[in-house]
Amino acid sequence: MTTSTPSTFAAPIVVVEDSDEDFDTLREVAAAVGVTRAIHRAVSGGDCLAMLRGEGRGDGDGHLPLLPALILMDLNSHGIDGREALVHIKTDARLKKVPVVVLTTSANPKDVAFCYQAGANAYHVKPVRHDQYLLLLRSLMHYWLDSVMLDATLVKVD
Amino acid sequence: MHENLTPEVGSSAPWDAQPYSIKRHGLNITNCDSEPVRTPGCIQAHGALLVLRPSDLSVLQASENTQAILGHEPRELLGHSVATVVGDERAARLRSILATEPTDRNPIYAFTLPANGQLVALDATLHTIDGAALLEFEAATQSQPETGTATGSVPAAPGRRHDPDYYSFIKKSVARLQTADTVKNFCQALADEVRLLSGLDRVMIYKLHADNHGEVFAESRRSDLDPWLGLHYPAEDIPKPARDIFAKTWIRPVPDIQGALAEMTPLVNPDTGKPVDMTFCALRGVSVMYTEYLQNMGVSAGLTMSLRRDSMLWGLIACHHYSGPHHVPYELRAACEFLAQVASLQHRAIEDRENAAYRLRLDEVNQQLLSIAAQTDSLASMTDGEPSLLGAMHAGGAALFHRDRWWLVGQTPTELQLQALGHWLVARLEGGSVASSVYATHALAADYPAGAAFADVASGVLAAPLSRSGQNLMMWFRPEVQKTVNWGGNPRDKPQVTGPHGPRLTPRRSFELFSESVHLQSTPWLQVEIDAVARLRALIMELVIVRAERLSGLNADLARSNEELDAFAYVASHDLKEPLRGIYKYAQQMMEATPANEDEKRKLDGLMRLTLRMDSLLDSLLHFSRVGREELTLENVDMNEVLAEAIEMVGSRTDDGRTQIVAPRALPSAMCDRVRVREVLVNLLSNAIKYNDKDSKCVEVGYVGAQEASLRSAFPAEAKGQTVYYVRDNGIGIASRHFDQVFKMFKRLHGREDFGGGTGAGLTIVRKLVERHRGQVWLESIAGEGSTFFFTLSAADDN
Repeated sequence: MTTSTPSTFAAPIVVVEDSDEDFDTLREVAAAVGVTRAIHRAVSGGDCLAMLRGEGRGDGDGHLPLLPALILMDLNSHGIDGREALVHIKTDARLKKVPVVVLTTSANPKDVAFCYQAGANAYHVKPVRHDQYLLLLRSLMHYWLDSVMLDATLVKVD
Repeated sequence: MHENLTPEVGSSAPWDAQPYSIKRHGLNITNCDSEPVRTPGCIQAHGALLVLRPSDLSVLQASENTQAILGHEPRELLGHSVATVVGDERAARLRSILATEPTDRNPIYAFTLPANGQLVALDATLHTIDGAALLEFEAATQSQPETGTATGSVPAAPGRRHDPDYYSFIKKSVARLQTADTVKNFCQALADEVRLLSGLDRVMIYKLHADNHGEVFAESRRSDLDPWLGLHYPAEDIPKPARDIFAKTWIRPVPDIQGALAEMTPLVNPDTGKPVDMTFCALRGVSVMYTEYLQNMGVSAGLTMSLRRDSMLWGLIACHHYSGPHHVPYELRAACEFLAQVASLQHRAIEDRENAAYRLRLDEVNQQLLSIAAQTDSLASMTDGEPSLLGAMHAGGAALFHRDRWWLVGQTPTELQLQALGHWLVARLEGGSVASSVYATHALAADYPAGAAFADVASGVLAAPLSRSGQNLMMWFRPEVQKTVNWGGNPRDKPQVTGPHGPRLTPRRSFELFSESVHLQSTPWLQVEIDAVARLRALIMELVIVRAERLSGLNADLARSNEELDAFAYVASHDLKEPLRGIYKYAQQMMEATPANEDEKRKLDGLMRLTLRMDSLLDSLLHFSRVGREELTLENVDMNEVLAEAIEMVGSRTDDGRTQIVAPRALPSAMCDRVRVREVLVNLLSNAIKYNDKDSKCVEVGYVGAQEASLRSAFPAEAKGQTVYYVRDNGIGIASRHFDQVFKMFKRLHGREDFGGGTGAGLTIVRKLVERHRGQVWLESIAGEGSTFFFTLSAADDN
């Protein structure tokens, strides 16, 4: 995980994010902390589901060779939103082992309750202050990519 | 009744073994209902009766007075042809009548026997019953000279003996009856016409109520007589055997109350072995009980006719004469009888006409009630408006249970009594024991014993539920009959006349009996009234349903606008916040990338600060919108625990070593939403600490008990009788002119950065949270010395 070239054998990261600024920030942080996994961006919940089911566009080649090691999910998007995508993922026998971390501007207790009920693995509110956002992303990536032990099928090459 | 009479008569009467005769046994009668009135064995002695064998017209039985009336002793007649008395020609006439006329149980005029020496002219009438022919003889003229009273007005028809022109008289009477618009007017006209025709002193229309007690419903009387109109008599006054006879015969003359009785010889018909059935005899012997009763009222002669409705006995035309015997001859009687029959036929039509008018009036008022209720959107107008529920209905009072309270008009039971009655009614109506949706009774206490307590105003109840759940109810009340009867002319006030057999059977006794029989009863509800209430109920329920539909429409609109508000909240949180975060990001990057000069650095700082401020404003707005919409979770909450949690949450601000939060006494618990009340306390506590420039900040949390709160004049009226919690500080205080403003959204009394800044939403949210609990929040403050914020939580009272 110390090389800077994306490894095609490591499980990728899927980021559901409709804000270009926020996605840029995320990529910068990932580079800064030395994440070598491929990072795929979905612009909506629906886009994310298509990607996971191998029918979608994804970032480059349009499909995922592997299940992702982590999904960072923004809740608000056009079409099928993050909430709906979360429910689909967590009720899909194949997909539900993938950790889904909600990363959103909404601090609405209803959203928090909904996401945990649906099986989200963590819920974070995006801070307005950019410096705080950077700190949050760093600790997130460190925790979910380095500290947590994932299901073996997510890190192993199929 | 009459239990004070000869008690030795037990299970078997003396006439069980021998034929009954009033003369022999009449004084032994203890119970009117057991008297064999159809076979009295005697006739009134002013006439004579011969019982003939129809086949050969031979005399089987003769009244013992035939010598005085017909000039022959009974023994000269028994076994001989009737021709002995009436001659061959008239005997042939009788034969012809028997062969051709409908004589069965129907007396038919046969001929008039002319006067002969000592004997007066006699009218003879003939009818058959049980295989015997009964020939009655009565004087053909008035027994006494004309008294110059009403009969004088009957025009005499020229040509025939003394006969007045009954036909034109009756034609006039019938015309008058037909113009009556109410049963009351109709009966009054009938009484007047019968008195004119008969010449009797008093003519009463005596109405039999459903329980057979009677009422003088209309009366025509000699002007010097006391009125008896409106008086009631117990059912026992017209015993069942007498009522049964009146259901069959039209007329019953008793020309001399004190007149003698003549017994039949022999007492039984030798052909049949049975006593003769005198049901249809005008001469039928009068019960001793009856004559005694009339004598006790000072009556000297009587004439009674039946009034029927749909072939049921509806009442009697009871005529009394007080100035000696008064014989109404057959032909005049026939005219009276004809009037009674016409009245019976007309009665139903008049009653229908009156009901139709009443029904129209009820419906008209009901429509007015409804349109006012629809305009004011409240049923309350039905009791305090004009017209009210009493507008057309003949009732003493009415009540409506609507919107959780009683609305009353007129004489009603108390609200407490109505509450219990309402519960009972709803249970009864739900229980299905009442088939229709309307409950009507004229004797509430019989169904509902507790009703006896307010029988004076509500012995009669007519009630209809206005909703399935029984949450809404309307009722009408009628007072006990005893309160409504017009006791004018009450014989209680008259000297008591005692009959020859003691003080039994007196009007006074009748009134005592009557009071017992109508105890706890009102006049009954008419079908037209019950029907009108059922229609009003249906109309109101329709109105309620229309309103419910409109409400559910409003609710749908409200739900839609709530959803729109939710959508707005997401717009605010996401779509507004996202660009804000972008602005902050670029400002920070510029700050880091290009070490700017001081001026640019200051501007970038400002940009970032404003962005943060906008962010917190958005957060407050979001929070406030949620506070207003989310459901409260009410539970019994220990306020001391909530306070401890709130103190912990504001803890960081108390770490400065100069802040002290005290609660002088334990707080009483409250029915409220724990999380939200904690938020109230957190807001008030942090304000108390924040807006405080003293070296030693002191905050006190306590309460004012419900009783004491009622006495505090400075407290709002709504807080009376409620526990009032407070948070008091020794801070900067608030000028009284700003008291209202502190609760306004984003209204700050101080500079943005003074006192640690803030969005100015805290107290607005506090007020919203308290109001969600149906409580109140207010403050007392002296600028520079400190403030006290008070709040109540009345949610518990509504649950």
